[in-house]
Amino acid sequence: MPASGSSSGRAVWAILRKECRSEWRTRYGLNAALLFAVTSLASTSFAVGRMSDRTDVLAALLWVVLLFAALASLAHTFVRETEGHTMTLLRLVATPTSIALGKLLFNLLFLISIELVTVPLFLIFMGAPAPRWGPLLAILGLGSLALGAGATLVAAIIAQTRGRGALFAGVSFPVLLPILAAAVSGTRAQWSGAPVTAELRLLAAYAVALLAASLLLYDHLWEDA
Amino acid sequence: MIARGLLLLWIAGWIVAAFLWAPLVPVLGETTRVLYFHIPAAWVTVLALGWSMVHSLLYLKRRNLEHDHQAAAAAEIGLLFCVVATVSGALWAKAMWGAYWNWDPRETSIFFLLLIYAAYLALRSAIDQPERRARLAAVYSGIAFVSVPFLIFVVPRIYFSLHPDPLINPRGKVDMDPRIRVVFFALLVGFTMLFFWVQSLRVRVARVEHRRQGSVA
Amino acid sequence: MRGDLVVMAVALLVWGLLFWYLVRLERRVADLEKR
Repeated sequence: MPASGSSSGRAVWAILRKECRSEWRTRYGLNAALLFAVTSLASTSFAVGRMSDRTDVLAALLWVVLLFAALASLAHTFVRETEGHTMTLLRLVATPTSIALGKLLFNLLFLISIELVTVPLFLIFMGAPAPRWGPLLAILGLGSLALGAGATLVAAIIAQTRGRGALFAGVSFPVLLPILAAAVSGTRAQWSGAPVTAELRLLAAYAVALLAASLLLYDHLWEDA
Repeated sequence: MIARGLLLLWIAGWIVAAFLWAPLVPVLGETTRVLYFHIPAAWVTVLALGWSMVHSLLYLKRRNLEHDHQAAAAAEIGLLFCVVATVSGALWAKAMWGAYWNWDPRETSIFFLLLIYAAYLALRSAIDQPERRARLAAVYSGIAFVSVPFLIFVVPRIYFSLHPDPLINPRGKVDMDPRIRVVFFALLVGFTMLFFWVQSLRVRVARVEHRRQGSVA
Repeated sequence: MRGDLVVMAVALLVWGLLFWYLVRLERRVADLEKR
């Protein structure tokens, strides 16, 4: 289904607004994700206590919490479509690329919303030292972009299988691992005063690679099945 | 039939040569011989992965299920060789440095390959229809293809910068005596032939299974 | 030296068994294909 640039741009925007509206109607996904993030954060804080001096462990814990929150919640946009049987209708009116891009943008917004709550709470609960906000925000931004790109793509695959949550976590893990490694390394570096340029470049390169691969693969995600 | 017999003699002969003819590497001592099996196994792991990914992409292009048979078979066999490489590597590490697992760059890389194989096969097992399974598995292959360079080359280096560990001596370049090199490459060739033989068997089984399903459905 | 030979013998045995298994497998596959 060939689509001109502007009409597919409008399709993406329309899908994004649709996702936001249906999410906002029940707020089920957002509530569940926030609850999950805060719960994992609380358990971690309770078990570990304040860790002002161990910035290496803090960096790892932050990203583990964020990763778990992402894995717990990012699949549900596709699952909702499959269970509501609205996917067929959606595919009649938009190209696979537009659908996937719209959902990707929604997932990114979703991730950022969760991080807006989780990251400050994390810093407070864990007694973390004051971060260098520039580098930290850059890592969070690029990390989320890469995380969203990878997780959305895998979620689109998993939604069409019999498996659900556990399969999504297992199958996406190899894809998301480079992000985790670079983000943890960068977060730790910004606390120890080291430069984060290497990690930022890595995250950016990986995000670009994932997005490029996605654009090539989106057309094969959904068929007449 | 002759080819099979030749392969039998080839590998058997070079195994004998590995123990009775090739000298030991000074640094490695008695554990030298592991490298004749461990490294070829790791090589076949990578070969199988490449074979699987290429056929996945070919499936997406041509939608011929034969490519899916090839991709799936190569993934299963690759996983087997990957387990062999990982276990032999761990045993070797224990003998050399006293610990089975250290997350040194090579161990980390082989572990990630294990994860990718496992994820791919787990995904396949969750889909029943052949065409859908082939398509989704192939898409995942495409994603994994992007991840592999980052996993193999970048992440181990990040781990090292996070945990510089003076205990570990990365294997690095081993100065190979010519006899060692001959046995090594001979077994490398032998393992590769073995891979293609097992691969062809697995694909033939897949074809038969597919034919059976077609007649039933 | 002795230990070396034991390991070599084990390696040859393993290879021999694997080879035999594969040959038998191939015969069964050929049989399945004919039917």
